[in-house]
Amino acid sequence: MKKILSLGLTAALLVTTLAGCGGGEQSSSETTAASAGTSAAAESNDGAGAPASSGDTVEITWWAFPTFAQDADQPAGTYEAEIVAAFETKNPDIKVKLETIDFTSGPEKITAAIEAGTVCDVLFDAPGRIISYAQNGKLVKLDDMFTDEYIKDVDNEALLNSCKSDDGSYYMYPISTAAFCMAVSRQALEAADAMDCINTEGDRTWTTAQFEEMLKKLSDAGFNGATVYCSGQGGDQGIRAFVTNLYDSQVTNDEVTEYTLNDEGGIKALTKIKEWVDAGYMLNGSAYNGGEDVDQFVAGNTAFTTLWSPGLASQRAETLKENEIEAIALPFPSEDGTPELEYLVNGFCVFDNGDAARAEASKKFIDFLCNDEEWGPKNVVRTSVFPVRQTMGDLYSGDAEMQFYANLTKYYSPYYNTIKGFAEMRTYWFPMLQAVLNGDSTPEDAVNDFVSKANQSIANAQ
Amino acid sequence: MNMKKKTGILDILSMILLLILSFIFIFPFYWILTGAFKSQKVTVKLPPEWFPLNPTMDNFHKLMQNPALQWLWNSVFICAVTMLIVCAVSSMAGYVLAKKRFYGQATLFSIFVFAMALPKQVILVPLMKLVSFMGIHDTPWAIILPLCGWPFGVFLMKQFSENIPTELLEAAKIDGSGEIRTFGSIVMPIVKPGFGALAIFTFINTWNDYFMQLVMLNSRAKLTISLGVATLQQEFSTNYGVIMAGAAMAAVPIVAVFLIFQNYFTQGITMGAVKG
Amino acid sequence: MKHSKINKIRMRETLVSYAFLAPALFFFCIFVLLPMIMGVVTSFFRYNMKGMTFIGLDNYINMFKDEVWQKSLVNTLILVVGSVPITVLFALFVAAMTYEKNPFTRSFFRCVFFLPVVTGTVAVTVVWKWIYDPLNGILNWLLKSMNIIEKNIMWTGDKKFALWAILIILITTSVGQPVILYIASLGNVPKDYVEAAQVDGANDFQVFWQIKWPSLLPTTLYIVVITTINSFQCFSLIQLLTSGGPNYRTTTIMYYLYENAFKRFEYGYANAMGVVLALIIGLISFVQFKALGSDVEY
Repeated sequence: MKKILSLGLTAALLVTTLAGCGGGEQSSSETTAASAGTSAAAESNDGAGAPASSGDTVEITWWAFPTFAQDADQPAGTYEAEIVAAFETKNPDIKVKLETIDFTSGPEKITAAIEAGTVCDVLFDAPGRIISYAQNGKLVKLDDMFTDEYIKDVDNEALLNSCKSDDGSYYMYPISTAAFCMAVSRQALEAADAMDCINTEGDRTWTTAQFEEMLKKLSDAGFNGATVYCSGQGGDQGIRAFVTNLYDSQVTNDEVTEYTLNDEGGIKALTKIKEWVDAGYMLNGSAYNGGEDVDQFVAGNTAFTTLWSPGLASQRAETLKENEIEAIALPFPSEDGTPELEYLVNGFCVFDNGDAARAEASKKFIDFLCNDEEWGPKNVVRTSVFPVRQTMGDLYSGDAEMQFYANLTKYYSPYYNTIKGFAEMRTYWFPMLQAVLNGDSTPEDAVNDFVSKANQSIANAQ
Repeated sequence: MNMKKKTGILDILSMILLLILSFIFIFPFYWILTGAFKSQKVTVKLPPEWFPLNPTMDNFHKLMQNPALQWLWNSVFICAVTMLIVCAVSSMAGYVLAKKRFYGQATLFSIFVFAMALPKQVILVPLMKLVSFMGIHDTPWAIILPLCGWPFGVFLMKQFSENIPTELLEAAKIDGSGEIRTFGSIVMPIVKPGFGALAIFTFINTWNDYFMQLVMLNSRAKLTISLGVATLQQEFSTNYGVIMAGAAMAAVPIVAVFLIFQNYFTQGITMGAVKG
Repeated sequence: MKHSKINKIRMRETLVSYAFLAPALFFFCIFVLLPMIMGVVTSFFRYNMKGMTFIGLDNYINMFKDEVWQKSLVNTLILVVGSVPITVLFALFVAAMTYEKNPFTRSFFRCVFFLPVVTGTVAVTVVWKWIYDPLNGILNWLLKSMNIIEKNIMWTGDKKFALWAILIILITTSVGQPVILYIASLGNVPKDYVEAAQVDGANDFQVFWQIKWPSLLPTTLYIVVITTINSFQCFSLIQLLTSGGPNYRTTTIMYYLYENAFKRFEYGYANAMGVVLALIIGLISFVQFKALGSDVEY
């Protein structure tokens, strides 16, 4: 009797919760109608006092990574709030709710929010993540924003391709771009008598042989080389570009359909890097992420870094000055002296929250962010890199350093961040480097293993 | 005699070991407190500056440009409300689980224990769907309500309630005392220390439960102090001083709460687990 | 006749009990049980951003074949096996050293060892990260200035040290509660028993083992279970310090679960891991109850 009753009670409990669960599943299933209902419910209870999308004004949410530079000591979001204010004055029928996110926890937050149907309308990010959201059908197509005139203005096929998903539609509206490169400390190089190893003329291109000589001289003079950072996840494209350039390898084939890092050059580069680390020319960076490698460089603990960009240069300018270091930006060294560079693209995407009015308002806002006569160029400068639209012209006229960065555009390599399964591939990259640096497996085995897992990730994502 | 002397030496050695260990345990907190008053350059200096020779309030000025006080208030609000609900709800549930015999009791208790073993990350995505469905996303309630369901409090209060003498409850029943009156006049006074322990425990855990806050809260003004400090780590990645100032601001109130109430806490927590 | 009367009383008790349980059950069912069931159900699906397809036990089968999962299981077990006995011995040592001291000293040490718990993992980890830093960390600096090591050691990036570096922090953040518990329960051991034994000529070791230890068993059981659960769920330390590296040397099941859910968007696979983890924890707790609990008198 007792057993039956207790069983009955538990069963009843389970049934009720399962029923509730079923309801929950339904409401959150993939149909956009249901998710619209969810987010509308979230909206109306927001307490912000703003009317939901049914009224005359449309409210959209903007999530911003800290890509725009702030004025000295201003907290995150200050400059973004100015943009929003300017936009709302011009478009009184649209309200923009600004929320700042950071690179450490932001990606997780977006993932969870997408699943829960609480994600923002407009996101300011880069193709790596944006295109993977697009491939999963979470974004609104932006094809109508890429007019013929606009495409002609950009005039850079690699860059435009980086904004497309595999269905051929555009999902990211780019605002600015720059190449990733590396930087050396003039003070360290002069002290080590190694200035003749680098090239400070023209595009500053140099060869792997010159780089190796610099390593030796720095080491002899008692300087630390850069860390081969491979912890965390940020900045992985910097060290990837460093590896591929050394002996002319490529992460993927030209068609971006297959990983090819296990070619002769790739294996040779990894073998060489392992040798350099063992000889003390460079440091095993298994405990450092990209940002921490830059920290060590600007603090003067290491003589160069393999992660640098105009944006980083301006962010770290103050610290460099305090520590009396002059950073010389250089493209990555390569065997033949012609680098193939990876590049960042900053841009916006619109999440499909099932509300056409909000999607339209979001596009309008993006158009304002990128193309407003006053704010467009201003926003580009805040990203510290270069406009994608050529008609914006030279926003940094007279700045020789920026001219150097601008000239690197011609070395852009095929953009593979839009490949299927990119997010999964990234999780294999640092463990592979760690395996090489810690001697867990030979460079050849490690990179073969990496390529087979990475190729599998393309298949997994189909 | 001989033996006594031996243990004397052993005692001294043990005492030294204890002090060294204490030092290791205090150090992180000490370093956060002093680091908050150091300038950026000093924080990464080697050999380290053991005490801030030129204390600066700079870090706090920078911190205050963020809504740090608002964050602090949000944390206090969330923790206090969670604490109140958890204590009320768990003491009732814990009492009947320990002292009543009813159908489904064993099964129910096993479900509670299994739920504690299940990592929170597994229920996170479904939980977020639920929270957004209820329209409480990005409000303090998105943190408070789910934490109120977490069965740890029930588990703890059940342990405490085991101490209630069954004879007392039976005597009350014979006197004709109703269930609610029995709970109020007999059960509550006995489990009071446990109540205190649970309160402080819930407060501390909620204060430091960063993952839940991260996914549930978006607006900058609605963040908690722990979450705010975590986002500062990103913005000031190179400036240890500001991070330390933030960490100090997050840690000092909670350490103070612990110091003030530590007797309730230790008394209560002991009662539950030790059952003296 | 009698039987049905008992049943009647029992029914009444059941009704009253559920009335008292109602608020707790309300929160528990909605915010824990329901998501939990959804988690268990979705572990049988290929569930990612694209949608859900039922795949039966495939997630579980793949998991046991997954080399990284196997590594993370081993790492997790090392952390548990390392941290549980050390935490117990450590707490016992501290408690034994302090429980007879005056109340002020006692509460001082109680606070000291509870401090890392109260300070919060995020804040404590910031400091430890700096302690372990290969280039300007204080640990390398100390060891070098004492001439113990010549070259900087990469504590969190070296396969020989990384897991132990994590273990040390894990222990410092988990001995707080055990210390408090042991101080209290050592204080509860009846003094006359101890004195009687000493009069009978028992040495310190015998006094401890035969008189004190048995009365510490319930406390020990509680500590062992709580520490086991905490060590199994070790996650934020890994995320903040090593991200699972070098080469998965510090990847725990919790971290791998998180990586699958939040970096690869494989929610179904991650949930399957959560279910297995919960089963392992449940099983081990059960065994601990059996092994340690047989002597425990309630």
